[in-house]
Amino acid sequence: MEKAKIDFAVGLNAYETVKEIVDKCVEAERLGLDYVWIGDSPPHLYCPSVAAAVASRTRKIRIGLGLLSPLLHTPDQISGGIIPLTEAYGDRFEICLGVGDRSQLLRAGVDTKPARVWDHVLKAKRKIARSLRANGAATKIWLGAQGPKMLAASKSFDGVLMNYASPRMINWAIDRIKPVARKGFNFGIYAPSYVYRKWRPQAYRLLRIASAVVALGAPAAVLDEFRFSKRLRRAMEELEAGLRIESVVRHVPSEIVDNFSIYTPSCRLRSYLSELGDLGISHIVFGFPQNLSKITIRELASALPNS
Amino acid sequence: MKLDLGISSSSSLSAAIQFSKLAERNSLNCIWIREALNTQQETFTIASIILLETSKVNVGTVVTSPLDRNISTIARAAATLSQMGGGRFRLGLDAARPNALMRDAATLLRRIWRGETITFTSDRFRLSNYYARYKAGFATPIYFGVRDLKLLALAGEIAEGVILSGPKRYIEKAVAIVDQGLRKRRRRRRSFRFVVWVPTVIIDKKSDLKLAREAVATVLADTPKAVLEMAGIAQEMVKPIKAMMAEKGVNGASRIIAEDLLREAAIYGSPEEVALDLRSLEKYGIDEAVFGPPYGREPAKAIGEMAQVWKRLR
Repeated sequence: MEKAKIDFAVGLNAYETVKEIVDKCVEAERLGLDYVWIGDSPPHLYCPSVAAAVASRTRKIRIGLGLLSPLLHTPDQISGGIIPLTEAYGDRFEICLGVGDRSQLLRAGVDTKPARVWDHVLKAKRKIARSLRANGAATKIWLGAQGPKMLAASKSFDGVLMNYASPRMINWAIDRIKPVARKGFNFGIYAPSYVYRKWRPQAYRLLRIASAVVALGAPAAVLDEFRFSKRLRRAMEELEAGLRIESVVRHVPSEIVDNFSIYTPSCRLRSYLSELGDLGISHIVFGFPQNLSKITIRELASALPNS
Repeated sequence: MKLDLGISSSSSLSAAIQFSKLAERNSLNCIWIREALNTQQETFTIASIILLETSKVNVGTVVTSPLDRNISTIARAAATLSQMGGGRFRLGLDAARPNALMRDAATLLRRIWRGETITFTSDRFRLSNYYARYKAGFATPIYFGVRDLKLLALAGEIAEGVILSGPKRYIEKAVAIVDQGLRKRRRRRRSFRFVVWVPTVIIDKKSDLKLAREAVATVLADTPKAVLEMAGIAQEMVKPIKAMMAEKGVNGASRIIAEDLLREAAIYGSPEEVALDLRSLEKYGIDEAVFGPPYGREPAKAIGEMAQVWKRLR
């Protein structure tokens, strides 16, 4: 596959104060990152409002919203957020749709297993795209995907953000989409990340937790394909029994966690990026805990090409 | 008594921002954003943008239904807006449903904002070990935008304020019902805000009355029977308006609005007349009056004039 220019983003989990999130986004823009992604989840701040605050304090950095779950928001609510944002701050916004973090959705009382959930997301995408187009917003719509069914659905989107980081898993996913992908389709990843110059135990601990959440939330088809299922069984049982993820994480093997996260000293990042570039990846979101502080964001930015 | 500004979420964003800045410059108390049906703009996002474009004026939404959004979404949207506005945000809530739902909604919102871990199941709400990871920071006041009699009383019991809309005679009676709720819980009247929002129009020329007639036709067609009864308006007077609305739209319905209905359901006239009419509601115990829409033939001019007259009267 042709090597594409890679856009770099930092993902922000919106549970800090709005001011802290905005300050980090201002710093990300100053450091030359291409995007910030504002997360959306039931226990977090409201993503479109945070995006408005970020846009009002930045000039050109692109702002991703999501993952936005059509199980939690109606298509009208999603497009209705983007339309005024675009009018107020310009065509700087992109959205990522997907099912979302099932455990958090369940806590908020959202049914995460409607029949043909991928079909539900796809229908929402079509409605959102129609509404955005009718209102003159040129918003790119990504699909957040992991499993085979959602990957197959991604062909109807502008791109896919995959929730894993190992080249082996990314390659497996691309092989499923590539034959049906349109010209101009974007392949990206959004993964828990810790790229460091000075290693911090707290950041590493948070990376392990964030990665374990992703691994334990992965579709059975993915876990079976890569033979992770059996080794995650105990952690899954404890999670289902209501134990907090912080205590469950010790039962998630490191070698599994590594597949779902970008964890590297800054000096080795470029070789990893080169490998992803060879696979055709054009968008990388460095997720939590890379956003832990302005320092961890700076350490990431200094390790990126052209920094 | 304070003057507020009302904006519909169906207004253009540029107009909403322009009116909001005008309201702030003229020291208005609050900008209420009404969630219009079939609008392309999401109310919380508009409120965010207006909070970012202003620095002193309060901003509220009218009204969000807990039936339309997950309760955790309403909680976090309100918490985000309260943070962004440094405590200037007010949440308008209505479900047009029985008391239990509104009581549960208000209770759950406050528990979420307090950072509690909540497990709760009812017909409408289901939370399981849910807790917010954000810190709310500010206590968001909840205003009930309700018309049902039981819900009015409930507003007095558990809300921070109520937004009343309807004919003037209804407003007077609605205040008394809310007061019953306040008394039931031995709440102090001063800790509660009564807000009135009725169509207001500045009339420059006689032809501007058409704006008032259209607003009243729209409002009356949607006014519940109980509200009309409380206002002493016979169903027979409203039936032809509803029929005309369905057949020929607002333009046709506005032509058959009788003079007395117009006076009962809207406030219109010169800026001085409108201001005095709004201020007359103070005798019922109203704390805030909302100006507009439709405002007048030139909305920005009408808002500016109204604000100036209000200052003089103060």
